[in-house]
Amino acid sequence: MSRRLSALRASLARQEPVARVVVLRAPDRALVGRWMVIWPDRDPVGTLGVEAPLHEQAVHMAREALRRRRSTTVVLESNTGSPLELFVEVLGYSPTLLIVGAGHIAQPLADMGKRCDFRVVVVDDRPQFTSRERFPTADELIVAPFDEALGHFPFDLDTYVVLVTRGHRHDVDALLHVIQHPVAYVGMIGSRRRIRGVFQLLMAQGKLTDEQAARVHAPIGLDIGAETPAEIAVAVMAEIILVRRGGTGRPLSAVFWERTRRVHTWRGRREEGRRSVQ
Amino acid sequence: MQNAYDVLAQIEAEGVPVAVATIVRVRGSVPREVGTKMIIHPYGRHWGTVGGGCGEAEVIRVGMDVIHTGRPRLVEVDLTGDVTAEKLGICGGIMEVFVEPWPPPEEHP
Repeated sequence: MSRRLSALRASLARQEPVARVVVLRAPDRALVGRWMVIWPDRDPVGTLGVEAPLHEQAVHMAREALRRRRSTTVVLESNTGSPLELFVEVLGYSPTLLIVGAGHIAQPLADMGKRCDFRVVVVDDRPQFTSRERFPTADELIVAPFDEALGHFPFDLDTYVVLVTRGHRHDVDALLHVIQHPVAYVGMIGSRRRIRGVFQLLMAQGKLTDEQAARVHAPIGLDIGAETPAEIAVAVMAEIILVRRGGTGRPLSAVFWERTRRVHTWRGRREEGRRSVQ
Repeated sequence: MQNAYDVLAQIEAEGVPVAVATIVRVRGSVPREVGTKMIIHPYGRHWGTVGGGCGEAEVIRVGMDVIHTGRPRLVEVDLTGDVTAEKLGICGGIMEVFVEPWPPPEEHP
């Protein structure tokens, strides 16, 4: 295995940001496919075989893509006239799904989160629940009091937090920790009535601002009538995907017909067709 | 899920040359995002997906060619087209896919 591939894989294993830069188009056909590995703050490994100024530009653009966390194509103008086209593949940033509480919903949710390419972390203070047997695919299991675990957790803008502990008191304590950080998503389980009561209390006590309360997805999940733990996990995962990828949260068929009617009135024609076949 | 580079390291150890396809640019509605990878294996043990269907079949064909020639190719996979046409991969978009031989040629002994 090449030094480049080992270096790349080592960073991926440590979940460090890293980029692979590969030549897509070049004046010299022999350069196509050349690649190197770039980090935000380390010397590159490998070379594209281009002159120093172009190399510097390529490294700069790759670091810019790393900063923006987005894979992208880059075109660099070379002296020879024909441009050099590169692909910067940004790697090592997987979103984290932090599940607080290792109960019934956590199990199917951890599994689904993994399948949806999240780094999955499960926290609970009960070792018998937070076990490898129950969470075979999770990346990390933390057995510790919630306060302690969340106090040390490296929250960032790619962190999605689901509060599903065994007791609402724990959910609320955990929420007060999480809400201090600008995370991508925080959702809390609970009935409408309970959520309303808890929010009113927290806001009256000055522990939660209006702005913070508005960020909490509670009750958690999309409204699909979920009943069982697995169904609730689907509703929660669907909401997380909605936040991450964007969308309406409505059935695609409804969105489709709405747009289609506006443009073509297909449905109108279909109904007309029933009356008179032309 | 295992990442593509771990899989490539395993395949390298087996000594079978493969091709790696990466979606590098998209326009319009396409099934997968930029950066999505697929490994094309000469005996059909492919890994990953660039969206399935006709578009993926085309990428696999190009992959086989790349394994054969050892030269990378940049291909445009057109998923636009008419619903009534023979082609069924109708997402409405176009994706550019870079297909490279693996191990990379410069690393051959």
